[in-house]
Amino acid sequence: MTDTGTLIRLMLPVAVPIAAGIVFLTGKRLRTDRKASAAALLAALGLELALVLGACASGGAAVLWQLTDTLVLALRVDGVGRLFSLLTASVWLLVGLYSVSYMAHDQRSSQFFGWYLIVEGVLIGLDFSGNLVTMYVFYELMTLTSLPLVLHERTHEAVMAGLKYLFYSVAGAFLALFGIFFLAGTAGDLTFVPGGMSALESTLGSTLGSGAEGGLMRAAVFCMLIGFGAKAGMFPLHGWLPTAHPAAPSPASAVLSGVITKSGVLAVIRVIYFVVGPEMIRGTWVQQAWICLTLLTVFLGSMMAYKEPVLKKRLAYSTVSQVSYILFGLSLLEPTAFVGALSHIVFHSLIKNVLFLSAGAVILITGWKRVEEMRGLGSIMPAMLGCYTLVSLGLVGIPPFSGFVSKWYLASGALASGTGVWEAAGPAVLLVSALLTAGYLLPLAIQGFLPGAGSVREYQAADPDEGELAEAGQSWQCREPSAWMLVPAGIMTAATLAFGLFPGPLVRFLTEIAQAVL
Amino acid sequence: MSIVQNFPFFSIILAMFSGIVSSVLSGKKARNLSIAMILAVFVLSLSTLAFCWGTGESYTYWMGHFPAPWGNEIRAGILEGVTASLFSLVMVLSVIGGMGHTEQDVEASKQNLFYIMVDLMLSSLLALIYTNDLFTAYVFVEINTIAGCGMIMIRQKGRSLSSAIRYMILSQLGSGLFLIGLSLLYGVTGHLLMSPAKEAVTAIEAAGAYQIPMLMIVAVISVGLAIKSGLYPFHYWIPDTYGYATPTASAILSGLVSKGYIFLLIKIFYRVLGQEHVIASQIVNVLFVFGLAGMVMGSVHAILQRDLRRMIAYSSVAQIGYIYMGIGLGTQAGMVAAVFHVFTHSITKALLFISAVGLYEASGDRKDYHSLRGSGYRARLAGIGFSVGALSMVGFPMLSGFISKLLFASSALQTPGKRLPTLIALAVSTVLNAVYFLRMVITIYSIPGKRTVKTGQTGADAADGTERQNAASDSGSTAGSRVRSTWNLRLAVLCLILLNLALGMFSQPVVRALEAGLEMFA
Repeated sequence: MTDTGTLIRLMLPVAVPIAAGIVFLTGKRLRTDRKASAAALLAALGLELALVLGACASGGAAVLWQLTDTLVLALRVDGVGRLFSLLTASVWLLVGLYSVSYMAHDQRSSQFFGWYLIVEGVLIGLDFSGNLVTMYVFYELMTLTSLPLVLHERTHEAVMAGLKYLFYSVAGAFLALFGIFFLAGTAGDLTFVPGGMSALESTLGSTLGSGAEGGLMRAAVFCMLIGFGAKAGMFPLHGWLPTAHPAAPSPASAVLSGVITKSGVLAVIRVIYFVVGPEMIRGTWVQQAWICLTLLTVFLGSMMAYKEPVLKKRLAYSTVSQVSYILFGLSLLEPTAFVGALSHIVFHSLIKNVLFLSAGAVILITGWKRVEEMRGLGSIMPAMLGCYTLVSLGLVGIPPFSGFVSKWYLASGALASGTGVWEAAGPAVLLVSALLTAGYLLPLAIQGFLPGAGSVREYQAADPDEGELAEAGQSWQCREPSAWMLVPAGIMTAATLAFGLFPGPLVRFLTEIAQAVL
Repeated sequence: MSIVQNFPFFSIILAMFSGIVSSVLSGKKARNLSIAMILAVFVLSLSTLAFCWGTGESYTYWMGHFPAPWGNEIRAGILEGVTASLFSLVMVLSVIGGMGHTEQDVEASKQNLFYIMVDLMLSSLLALIYTNDLFTAYVFVEINTIAGCGMIMIRQKGRSLSSAIRYMILSQLGSGLFLIGLSLLYGVTGHLLMSPAKEAVTAIEAAGAYQIPMLMIVAVISVGLAIKSGLYPFHYWIPDTYGYATPTASAILSGLVSKGYIFLLIKIFYRVLGQEHVIASQIVNVLFVFGLAGMVMGSVHAILQRDLRRMIAYSSVAQIGYIYMGIGLGTQAGMVAAVFHVFTHSITKALLFISAVGLYEASGDRKDYHSLRGSGYRARLAGIGFSVGALSMVGFPMLSGFISKLLFASSALQTPGKRLPTLIALAVSTVLNAVYFLRMVITIYSIPGKRTVKTGQTGADAADGTERQNAASDSGSTAGSRVRSTWNLRLAVLCLILLNLALGMFSQPVVRALEAGLEMFA
């Protein structure tokens, strides 16, 4: 049934990083030799990108393991899988470059790199999953293997954050698991089919999802939405995100916020668009409740970010809000909004990574964590703050940056969705939230470059007191982070701009996916 | 008659005989004899299984070839074979894994007595599995209880004595109820052998006579065995018993002994009372409700514990609840799920108890959560073993616990009236399991000391804190002092991990065997 060549091509991108990660965790030499460990990390990440490209180009499906008579672990490459896996592998490489420099003074950097690689392998497995059970396996593995990234600092705060992260994720995953059990009992095969069981229903003429059985099924689907939504930071299981992301080292916060939250989104896409099918929930209470929750999260997340003084926490709240933009787009069950949601996945991922990388650079160099301390930051690291400013504009949604494109599709999709009151309420909430986004991101940029004369005394008091600048006994000089850190941020900023200027190919690719599932 | 058909009888007698011989041996020799004997029993059980699988039917065997009522009848089928093999395997691993601790906990002059108890325990478990005669079952239930008490009590320290007494009282209550049930049954049917008793019961049922006595019989037997296996709310002997006995005893008692009674109960349901009759009597519904309560309450209690072993013990209460829930579903699929969970739980619980030994040996024999910080680095394999066990109990895919939950959930889906309560209880209990097990896993992999400094604890606790810090700071910031666990512990942990993985990944043959075995029961 499965030819070995395909199996190997699909297995390698999953297995290689995991194996490399284990080498990092156990190898003695990598623990002491910094250069070797950096070179090995980058080699592994580069190889992984090549492998993912290869798998995406060749495509195919392969059976991995026959778990029980009905449940199979299988890998398969499809459009959504390509999108997510390419995004993951490229972001992982860029953030890997950054972390080589960021973790240079960390005694246990090889531990960090090891888990960092393992998580990548697991994520690629998640992206390539061919059915719901396989996805669930990788989803659980992802929670467990990303946990050490949160715990890395090993302070009391980090451990507590890790526990919170674990409990929310596990609670969410098991909520989803019972949805899976229910679906497996009712529908048997849980292989991903574009358009889901509704597509099967129309071809087979059966009556899946009608009557009381349908009511229960929809309740199960709702459980899965809430459960997988936990990873995507959707209300009501969003509480872990603002605690866990800032507790991790900055490169980890970047990928947690930028990529791992998206795996919750991926899970939701798979459940709604590839298993139960959008027709199952269209117009039902499930869709209404889902739209309502996403809009609530969009708004609440922005408000919390606006009020938050600590930069990394502010960015984490911003993630809560922005990922729910994506979920909002998905909840409309409408092709244009679906394209908007998928493109926002890419754009938000790039933008949020740059934001966290610059926050990390600020902490590394000046030791500042709160936004009000960062007045005049532009005179210390103009290039990094420049990147920050550009992507902030993108996240707010100002053309020609990419955020504009996705929000345009989201809003026009909402207007065409035929969901009653949400047609108008959705775009309104998005607009208000965009305003709040500007309100919480841009002050740092404005005060950074234009500190203002009246506040000199204030920012003198806030001289860098820890971090590299203080260690070098210097203050208030231009001190950019190293090129290792600047270049990845620069590349992602450029990508943000490029996608905004030339969204055509990406949108065409996404439209194809949308046509298949809707 | 094939020679293989003698093997069930041989294995029971072999176990008893080793017990008798052990009384004149030294501790070490008794131990070696015990291990060799259990391994032999394992091989014998496997061949019995292979034989039954080959012929595709069960057989009864007259001990000494005397027909009943003079002789004694045993019966072997696929289910018996699988269970006996698995039980003996788990038992030998428990003995091997805990034997270092047994030497410390038990006085040198009494070492051999401990292994006598182990031998008797195995023989009684095998007899409960194979017997086809209710009175024999009762006799071996008593032997089982006595052996169990001995195993708890032999660690002559404070609470293990009181917990042994508590265990004895409750077990006797259970056996008493069981005996009353048997007497009533004998009075009504006039038979103690299972097959004729079932015929009589069927006739009585058909005639509609003795309705209240029959209900009493089902109720009293179920409750008696439920008490002995620790179903909530009859569980309060469990935490002390499992928490203070020597590790081998804990692993055997929680992993096997309670399962032996459950096996007997299932056997009586199918072979004597008739599954349809039991379902009609509503007793299964009572078991179902208590099972659900146990699943949730056991986990809640486990969350409240501060001592590793008591936590594992309370988790047993929850897992026993799962099993009774499966029985209580009253369907073939539910029964398969319950028996599969019997296997899952005995493997996993043994793994947890044995790796817990490794963890607290690496933490200066202290079992509270604070002392165990970082022990996963000090005793690597034990840490991995504990994590695997914990993940399996939580229901992580590829491990046996996941298959159990899958079977429970899918059998619940086929049982309309009980579908939602089961799914909800499964979900709640799983999340609660995750809370305490994963907290423990994080604890054993977090760094000791830091928190003590931060939170500034008082008095004795702070003193312990500095002591631990000293121990940890000896060898760098990450690992703390590595303690190389003894070979036997590592061997046992490794085997149990592999067993757990195997049951999780190759579950289908086992499930098919269980289905075939239950078919043979009916």
